[in-house]
Amino acid sequence: MSIVSYAPDDLTVTVTADTTLAALQQHLSPRNQWLPVDPPNPARLTIGEIVNCDVSGPRRYGYGTVREHVLSLRAELADGRMIKSGASVVKNAAGYDLCRLFTGARGELATVREVCFKVQPRPEAEQFGKAEFPTVEAACGFVEKLDTSELTPTVLDLHNAGGAGPWTVVVGFAGTREEVDWQRKQTGSLAAVADANLDHDEQFWSATAARPVRKLSVLPSKLAATIAAMRGVTSLVARAGNGIIYYRGEDQGTAIVPSTKLMQRLKHEFDPAKKLQARHA
Amino acid sequence: MAAIAPSFFSELRAICGDDGVITQSERLMVYECDAYTMEKHLPDAVALPRTTEEVVRAVKLCAQHHLPIIPRGTGTSLSGAVLAVDGGIIIGTTRLNRILNVDYRNRRALVEAGVPNLWITNAVKERGLMFAPDPSSQPSSTIAGNIAFNAGGPHTLKHGATTNHVLGFDLVLPDGEVVWLGSTPEGGDDVEGYDLRGAVIGSEGMFGVITRVVVRLMKTPRAFRTMLAVFNSADDASHTVSDIIAAGIIPVAMELMDQPITRAIEEAYHFGLPMDAGAVLIIELEGHEAGLDRQLERVIELCRKNRSRDLKPARTPEERAALWKCRKSAFGAIGRISPNFVTQDGVVPRTKLPEIMQFIYDAAKKLGLGVANVAHAGDGNIHPIIFYDERIEGDVEKAYACSTAIVRRCIELGGTATGEHGIGVEKVELMSLQYSADDLEAMQRLRRAFDPEGRCNPHKMFPGGKRCLNFNPQRQVAI
Ligand SMILES: Cc1cc2nc3c(=O)[nH]c(=O)nc-3n(C[C@H](O)[C@H](O)[C@H](O)COP(=O)(O)OP(=O)(O)OC[C@H]3O[C@@H](n4cnc5c(N)ncnc54)[C@H](O)[C@@H]3O)c2cc1C
Repeated sequence: MSIVSYAPDDLTVTVTADTTLAALQQHLSPRNQWLPVDPPNPARLTIGEIVNCDVSGPRRYGYGTVREHVLSLRAELADGRMIKSGASVVKNAAGYDLCRLFTGARGELATVREVCFKVQPRPEAEQFGKAEFPTVEAACGFVEKLDTSELTPTVLDLHNAGGAGPWTVVVGFAGTREEVDWQRKQTGSLAAVADANLDHDEQFWSATAARPVRKLSVLPSKLAATIAAMRGVTSLVARAGNGIIYYRGEDQGTAIVPSTKLMQRLKHEFDPAKKLQARHA
Repeated sequence: MAAIAPSFFSELRAICGDDGVITQSERLMVYECDAYTMEKHLPDAVALPRTTEEVVRAVKLCAQHHLPIIPRGTGTSLSGAVLAVDGGIIIGTTRLNRILNVDYRNRRALVEAGVPNLWITNAVKERGLMFAPDPSSQPSSTIAGNIAFNAGGPHTLKHGATTNHVLGFDLVLPDGEVVWLGSTPEGGDDVEGYDLRGAVIGSEGMFGVITRVVVRLMKTPRAFRTMLAVFNSADDASHTVSDIIAAGIIPVAMELMDQPITRAIEEAYHFGLPMDAGAVLIIELEGHEAGLDRQLERVIELCRKNRSRDLKPARTPEERAALWKCRKSAFGAIGRISPNFVTQDGVVPRTKLPEIMQFIYDAAKKLGLGVANVAHAGDGNIHPIIFYDERIEGDVEKAYACSTAIVRRCIELGGTATGEHGIGVEKVELMSLQYSADDLEAMQRLRRAFDPEGRCNPHKMFPGGKRCLNFNPQRQVAI
């Protein structure tokens, strides 16, 4: 578990895959920088797991998922050879983008060993607010208002308080003090907004209920109708701005896996003997 | 290559129409190269399909005849990525140029592959939206061409490149099968399985022909602060760029132009740029009005610390537009100072910018060549423009040697051979400097999954392909 190199003035850091996200953030914090991805359990979750499974958190709305931050990586192929893809610079058009290919591939094509990230200055200010609604439609109406306004939230979440209701929208802003204050005030003119934090997300993921978390991805415009049609679901958190729904409860049907033949050919090229099994975070 | 059966051409005409197939050699000359003019090859034919279906049928026909296919947009590539090195059929997308649907609520648009980049923003700007990637070629370069190179522009510093703004697309594989990769027009952002969308972006048209694309639209920022900072030397300007990044400020753009290019632009267009400045920076901040001025103050402070001798803020939207016009006219102005030029686009870690700038000047001086620089400085992405005169014996070779030396240095400094123009045929020899044989073999595996026969846009990117430098001074085109 180690930081291989850190160039704060270039905003790049290279770490081994077994480094935890928390350890990485701690290393960046004296220079007031961070990797703006916030999946649950940062103290336990390793960079390898985050890259393999492309896991993300509420700030995804503002900063994208981890694939937007990977600049280069070293990976071990199924036959044991080590390869490098990308370069430790913010732009690179030389060769195919194997970083994107391996990110989210669950370790089925190669084993990621080392990752170079583009990091960011920590925002000067960050604020969260929440507004509660009696129905999911009303809550999604507020989401739509924010999403199509001139405001630029970095978090736009919807949750049902562990199944207990009410429908709660959590909105976050980051940037200079002035712009965060201004945006927070504007939000207040759209609905009654109370101060909040991101505890809802932590509570959702750490709930001891044994039922596994499942995921749906829909167009943001279809969020309300999709949630209203869900049956047998207990708790739910949605990245409302992205149309991503995480839920516990009955399976609502899985997504279709597109272009299966092509994916099988790819798997065969990279791992003909099927040595690499899918990994989970 | 074996002669093509005459029936092939009549069948191709039956698919794309008589006006959609070009075979006469004088008309094919338009397609003998792209904006990289050092090398030229005539294709056997050009097909200009009007629909996805026609693309599929044309691609299948080429597969039956075992012919290479070369997808092509508007040919603004700067690396020879659309050269028909060994002949073959160019599949051009100029007639696939419709914006099919704009979904304002979900901030997405579905467009055909041959739609020029700027058309998208033009179609949605009234509603406060834009397509963020902004290559200087944006009035003409197509969305699929942007995808093939993961094109970027001045604003990539903050907004990212094409890969950050393209959600999904279809791809006609070289055997004619159509697959949809990434997000579908009606589907959510996340799709199951490998990120094949991400793997195709930047693959230089070697995996198949794209016909339709779903792009993400961004909210147009409401407020800007754009400024021209004037320096006595390129070194001071480069240090300013490093200092701003190190201070934790990420402007939306930081573009550097040195004296030769500033002069050329001024002589051509009379924007009022200083003729005697060592270098200028165009720095732009954007976001919400609140807080922008304080950020600007901080940037000004850092410019002054590096001896900026003049700071000219753009006071009106017109002044801002004029500043950007200066920058985007850079390439057009060069024709006035040199009969021929070659440009590179290596990238270095941002702190190495002062070092690579000095290297560029020294390398050109040693060979007795002129050089001008524009750079996406905030990204560490250089664009040295090396002047030569093909009428002078040995000049072409010198220009080539100079530009290769610069790219090699970028790689040695921990950077890359290309930030946005791609490898094409131009930089194939440099790939093995940057990647090991195993790295390149892993890339070949990816390619084989899409194109087992290696028939789609062959002889690009990988060293060892068939290639000869074929300079033809009479037919150099100016850009
Ligand atoms: C004056 C000038 C300024 C430029 N400025 C920039 C800049 O700022 N940033 C930047 O990134 N680039 C820049 N470029 C380079 C160039 O414009 C871009 O690379 C652009 O993306 C190429 O688009 P195109 O439509 O011209 O593609 P082409 O040149 O026709 O083709 C480029 C590549 O795309 C592939 N391709 C085209 N269509 C398809 C398709 N339908 N399916 C699959 N593959 C396809 C081709 O096979 C080829 O590999 C500039 C070029 C010029 C001449």
